[in-house]
Amino acid sequence: MSMAEGPEGGGSEDRPRPHHNDRAGARARILGKVRDAITKRRREPHPGHFGGWRDQAPEDPVEQFIRLFKAAGGEVCRFDLRESASEWVRNFIGDYATVSLGTIARREAQHGARAVRIEHTDPADAEVGVSMAYGAVAETGSLIMIPQDGRRAQLLPPVHVVWVEERTVFPMLIDAMAALAKELPSAVGLHSGPSKSADIGQILVKGVHGPGRLIAVLVDDKGVQW
Amino acid sequence: MRVSLFATCLGNEFYADACADAVRLLRHFGVEVDVPEGQTCCGQPAFNSGHQDEARRMARHTHQVFAESEYVVLPSGSCAGMMRSFYPELLGTDDASVRSLTTRTYELAQFLVQVLGVDAPGTGLSGRVVAYHHGCHALRELGVRDEPVALLRGCGAEVIAWEADEECCGFGGLFSAKLPEVSAAMADRKLDTLPTVDLLTSADGGCLMQLSGRATHRGVGPPIRHLASVLWEGVGS
Amino acid sequence: MSFTGPGRYREESAKMLRDKPEMRHSVTQATRTFDDHRTHAFGQVDGERWRDWARDVKTHLLSNLDIYLEQAEESLERNGAHVHWAETGADALAILEKIVEDNDVKRVVKAKSMLSEELAINAHLESLGVSVFETDLGEYIIQLLGEPPSHIVGPAIHRSLDDCRRLFHEHFGTPLDAEPDALAAAARIALRQEFLAADLGISGGNFLAADTGTVALIENEGNIRLSTSLPRIHVAFVGIEKLVPTLGDVAGFVQLTTRSATGQPIGNYVSLIQGPRREDEPDGPEEVHVVLVDNGRTNLLADDTAWEALRCVRCGACLNICPVYRQTGGHAYGWPYSGPIGAIIAPGLLGLEKAMPLPHASSLCGACVDVCPVRIPIPEILVHWRERAVEEGLVPLAETVGLKAYTAAAERPVVFGAAGAALRYAPLELGGRALPILSGWMQERSAPKPSPKSFMQLWKEGLE
Ligand code: SF4
Repeated sequence: MSMAEGPEGGGSEDRPRPHHNDRAGARARILGKVRDAITKRRREPHPGHFGGWRDQAPEDPVEQFIRLFKAAGGEVCRFDLRESASEWVRNFIGDYATVSLGTIARREAQHGARAVRIEHTDPADAEVGVSMAYGAVAETGSLIMIPQDGRRAQLLPPVHVVWVEERTVFPMLIDAMAALAKELPSAVGLHSGPSKSADIGQILVKGVHGPGRLIAVLVDDKGVQW
Repeated sequence: MRVSLFATCLGNEFYADACADAVRLLRHFGVEVDVPEGQTCCGQPAFNSGHQDEARRMARHTHQVFAESEYVVLPSGSCAGMMRSFYPELLGTDDASVRSLTTRTYELAQFLVQVLGVDAPGTGLSGRVVAYHHGCHALRELGVRDEPVALLRGCGAEVIAWEADEECCGFGGLFSAKLPEVSAAMADRKLDTLPTVDLLTSADGGCLMQLSGRATHRGVGPPIRHLASVLWEGVGS
Repeated sequence: MSFTGPGRYREESAKMLRDKPEMRHSVTQATRTFDDHRTHAFGQVDGERWRDWARDVKTHLLSNLDIYLEQAEESLERNGAHVHWAETGADALAILEKIVEDNDVKRVVKAKSMLSEELAINAHLESLGVSVFETDLGEYIIQLLGEPPSHIVGPAIHRSLDDCRRLFHEHFGTPLDAEPDALAAAARIALRQEFLAADLGISGGNFLAADTGTVALIENEGNIRLSTSLPRIHVAFVGIEKLVPTLGDVAGFVQLTTRSATGQPIGNYVSLIQGPRREDEPDGPEEVHVVLVDNGRTNLLADDTAWEALRCVRCGACLNICPVYRQTGGHAYGWPYSGPIGAIIAPGLLGLEKAMPLPHASSLCGACVDVCPVRIPIPEILVHWRERAVEEGLVPLAETVGLKAYTAAAERPVVFGAAGAALRYAPLELGGRALPILSGWMQERSAPKPSPKSFMQLWKEGLE
């Protein structure tokens, strides 16, 4: 074993349980066993980036996102103008008594250029949640959800409306990962369709725990952020 | 062209007629056939159950018996698979004679199609509805999928679609004796999904034994015969 | 009902086939559907290339595992997560127990995790007086039934819609003819309260990217996202083989795994978890613990043949295609990992003797090799364990003696021929009763009839 049995990270414990709390020791023993196991073998090289390797000419990323997202049960509303998208969202959520706004949407609703008074409800009690996506992925048909906008609004209301700008649609998941890796938040969620399960008799049901409806509002606006 | 027929242990004792039909078929296509005397067992039962030393001894024996053969043809996909896929591992990958034996070894249908180029050998199966069970080792070790079906069709048979045609019958050598209940359930799945046919055939004695053993036990199923015999009938001689 | 260990595989599988034939039907249906979806999904991509790539990344990872474990630890700690090392299952439970005690945890929600089944976390938490709720719908169903999972992806596939109707009727008073939507709604309501009330969420980890310290989790229901987002503490149990070098590799693996498991391009939810919530984030757990678990994995790693099994991504494709698994589902295997993958990792994780007879629970049909997304040579590893079992005297003496005698005969063609001839005079029905090795065969099938004359005899007499 090559690891020093140093005290680092071990911490002091009030109720000593002989090797259970011996963090440094356990770490050293596991790493030691790993090294013993692999020393006799070659260290094999990494094969390089995952390329997807589809032979067909790449589809338009936005089109591909829409196709896959819909195939997974998501809904898409596409707008050329930011204003019409906003209006659609306002109308849509107007049908619900309780709305939960993600942090970014809430800021916008209060201070934005065309502020509209929307009562914000805690996500646990809201019928619909509105969030902003960091971006989307064409390869997998996914929305990229970041925690700065609030995770509960992304998960608790039965209907989830997500604003996403077309220019943020990444062709490949690996591209999105590369962009995210520059400044990773605590947790990223890739949402590629509504919550679903086939655990009951292999029959598909939606809205098991997360939202049963997931609507992407795709905005082709080269200009301002919402 | 000269072919050595390896009847295999199971073939010799339980499917003697099918082995004889394999000889007739090969002769029908102009091949000279010999049957080396010392042949016994390829070693697969021992190999698959983890008895490496015994498997190696039988492999060595078999290698000696067929070392001089131009081609070795077996009416058994799994024994052919054993020789082609595992003899180098057992007898030494750098033994040129072993390597060469593996490339000269063929399952019967594979040999007829790949080496002899047989395609429409006769009309003896016209009007017959046949189900073909793909033995696992012919299918996955040897990659023989289309050959037997093409030959049956080439004899006029209708080879019927069968959802379980590529699923294991549950034989698996000692597996069928060690875990007989699961093994039997696997055979039942084959038999229960089998469409109505005139006969069921396959290229492996073990599979045939399993399927017919179970079919007889339950009193179900069509006649079950070895591919060599069915094809011999098919060439219509 | 809980797992009894693999030792009773034959008895349990026979019992299952005899007493619960409907399970065989449910399992066969479900696995065939999974497999059809996988076939379709791999047809849409360059599947062979994906599999080569995935095999090579995992092989690289495993041959450099020491380096990547240290890197993963460093990355996670940089992200503010706590990293723990558990050599054994008991160690893993002790680590969890400490977290529970330090934080006065009373209620736990759990995301589906095979490792947590391996560690028997639920029973341990309950013994501490902590209430624990499985939140994956399938896991919840079997928790209510008091059963262990029967499949690594679909834990309740052995249960039919009607089974679920009866179960939910008893627990929630839903009508006996309720549609699946209504049943799911009842579960949603019950579990929603638990999500909101839980102090701690437990998950596994499909992957752990060493470069960014990212625990990646794939699912469809959203229960994993909820379990890892709502409670104040999140504990992720991650097997040491679950590492991948980079977050970029995760991009490939989440797609490969989902296509292989359910045929979707990606799970409807993928969580990429780095650590506890940050200042600019309104919610999320305040504490994140990652427990790196060995529990026998290094034994597998040390084995020159079986180490390849550590590439497994637990997609379940080998179970779905396996004709042996399909007859019984997973319970008969006697421990959480069933099917081909269960049979090849059991000797490493449990020890060979305890794992018997699982290495024999395969006809070596090879169907699993064709579907495994990381190209694990499953039959080769099965045969390897069988060899080890012979070496260690773990097979019946009759088998060893019989095969030695058979081999000796096979080397002497005259003896072999004579022994074969004897078959014609001592019918198998008789021999079958006498020889233990044949009695199993005879019990389920009619005896094969030896040919009236052996082929060698026919040949010598002359064939025309
Ligand atoms: S062994 Fe291969 S096919 Fe089986 S679960 Fe693991 S990765 Fe999937």
